[in-house]
Amino acid sequence: MLSLREVQKAIRRSVVLRDDSDAAAYIVDDGLPAERRLAVYRNTFDGSLTTALRLSFPAIHRLVGAEFFEAATQSFVHEQPPHSAWLDEYGAGFAESLARFPPAAALAYLRDVARLEWAVNRALHAPDVEPLEVALLSALSPADHERVCFVAHPSVSVLELAYPADVIWRAVLAQDDAALAAIDLASGPVWLIVERAASGIDVTRVGGQAWRFTADLLAGQPLGIALEAAEDIDAPSLLADHLKAGRFSAFNLAHPAAMPQGSSQ
Amino acid sequence: MVARSTTAATRRGSIPAAAGIGLRFQHHQAVVDAPPQIAWLEVHTENYMGGGASLAYLDAIAREYPLSLHGVGLSLGSADGLDPAHLERIRRIVERFEPGLVSEHLSWSIADGVYLADLLPLPLTEEALVLVCRNVDRMQHHLRRHVLIENPSSYLRFKHSTIPEWEFLAAVAARTGCGILCDVNNVYVSACNHGWDGSAYLAALPAAAIGEIHLAGHSLRRLDDGRELRIDDHGSRVVPAVWALYGEALERFGPRPTLIEWDSDVPPLDVLLDEARQAATHLERLEKGLAHAVAA
Repeated sequence: MLSLREVQKAIRRSVVLRDDSDAAAYIVDDGLPAERRLAVYRNTFDGSLTTALRLSFPAIHRLVGAEFFEAATQSFVHEQPPHSAWLDEYGAGFAESLARFPPAAALAYLRDVARLEWAVNRALHAPDVEPLEVALLSALSPADHERVCFVAHPSVSVLELAYPADVIWRAVLAQDDAALAAIDLASGPVWLIVERAASGIDVTRVGGQAWRFTADLLAGQPLGIALEAAEDIDAPSLLADHLKAGRFSAFNLAHPAAMPQGSSQ
Repeated sequence: MVARSTTAATRRGSIPAAAGIGLRFQHHQAVVDAPPQIAWLEVHTENYMGGGASLAYLDAIAREYPLSLHGVGLSLGSADGLDPAHLERIRRIVERFEPGLVSEHLSWSIADGVYLADLLPLPLTEEALVLVCRNVDRMQHHLRRHVLIENPSSYLRFKHSTIPEWEFLAAVAARTGCGILCDVNNVYVSACNHGWDGSAYLAALPAAAIGEIHLAGHSLRRLDDGRELRIDDHGSRVVPAVWALYGEALERFGPRPTLIEWDSDVPPLDVLLDEARQAATHLERLEKGLAHAVAA
């Protein structure tokens, strides 16, 4: 007796892998071949996921055009199909998939633009979490400050990119051809903070040292260790900016044994 | 004979037996800026699982209108069972908005942990019936409320199916206490695609279990050999044959909350409101007929 599980596995192979061999045998023909019937569902799968990715990666879509985008998304969709219907979460691996997509080989900056768009997407859809109340920090004994490990607000990402993806992204979405033409792809790396602000999504460029300090804090490094590593920057005022911008949602204290000997107080 | 009773199972809550529209992102701002004359709104649960602007819009909109949450991705027919994380996301949204109605589909979308981005038909067997009932029970238990289950549009049938779809749906309602969301367009599309009788389909559903009606447009795909397949793409106005079947549904079920759905090439809000007015006209005609019958 054919089980429901067998039927569903066979249809998954038909829809995702284009292998109708088992599924077709289970379906009533009734004047229209089973393969044609299955193709309706495959078309919806391909079309819905391409649409979902187009909404999450609008700049990539405009940069490469509809046909190229569809080919790139099809490659990604078949390699890494979604696991749930919450499609806002789908697309984390698209930037890396795009980097491996042979037709994109000559467009090395695409991966960075896609990484930026994914960070923007995360910022847009991150859960609503209250930012850390600074008063909670002030209540700590100063001796404990070095052990503070922050929890990043879920809307915040930090990106270190080889190409000026932020300028490309803005110019493409604004359809500003002059700005696009003026971009120097060899201008060197950029360091970005991407987050949701009251007015929308903010993409902010920072210096390399400030970025490293920020990335350490967002990754939950103890404050004492992050400050130790911070060179040539005004770390305290940067920390104040982070707190004011609500880039942390909470903190906990590292165990004293986890702290290096003689670190700053 | 018009059935006017509604079981506690359908728990219609604050959703009136009037016409509503499916709200999509394109109209968030317009609805907040100038709230239109419409009795209620329905949204896709999956579009509000994160935070940020979408959820803020829905908060604002839910203060003005009765709200219904319509899920498209729980996959009640999956042999693998329900995804607990997805069910929990639904629970959080239900808890936040306390919607008048919560609904899902008689279909499946997930196999081997892969989401197939469509509402796929089930083999209609005793095995599938037991499984769907178990999953509906689990959903209702987790949400602590009854839900409505919608009949799907389909483009294929399985050779080993033994139960007609209308009987399957009625059995799910009878065994789990859930209500039925009768999508009249889906009845029409599936009836055309499979050679069923749409009126007989409606007649076989338990009127008291019907908690909501959906209406939408579909497209006609002409195949190389001249055959036609109707595709439920929610991308156009409701066709006359579906309005006629809707009239029959109201006669059978009594006045029910009726929703206009439109998901591809979403038109200006006015077009949706115009479709909703047509549904409202049907509902008013039925109410007048009922009043007349009572007076006589």
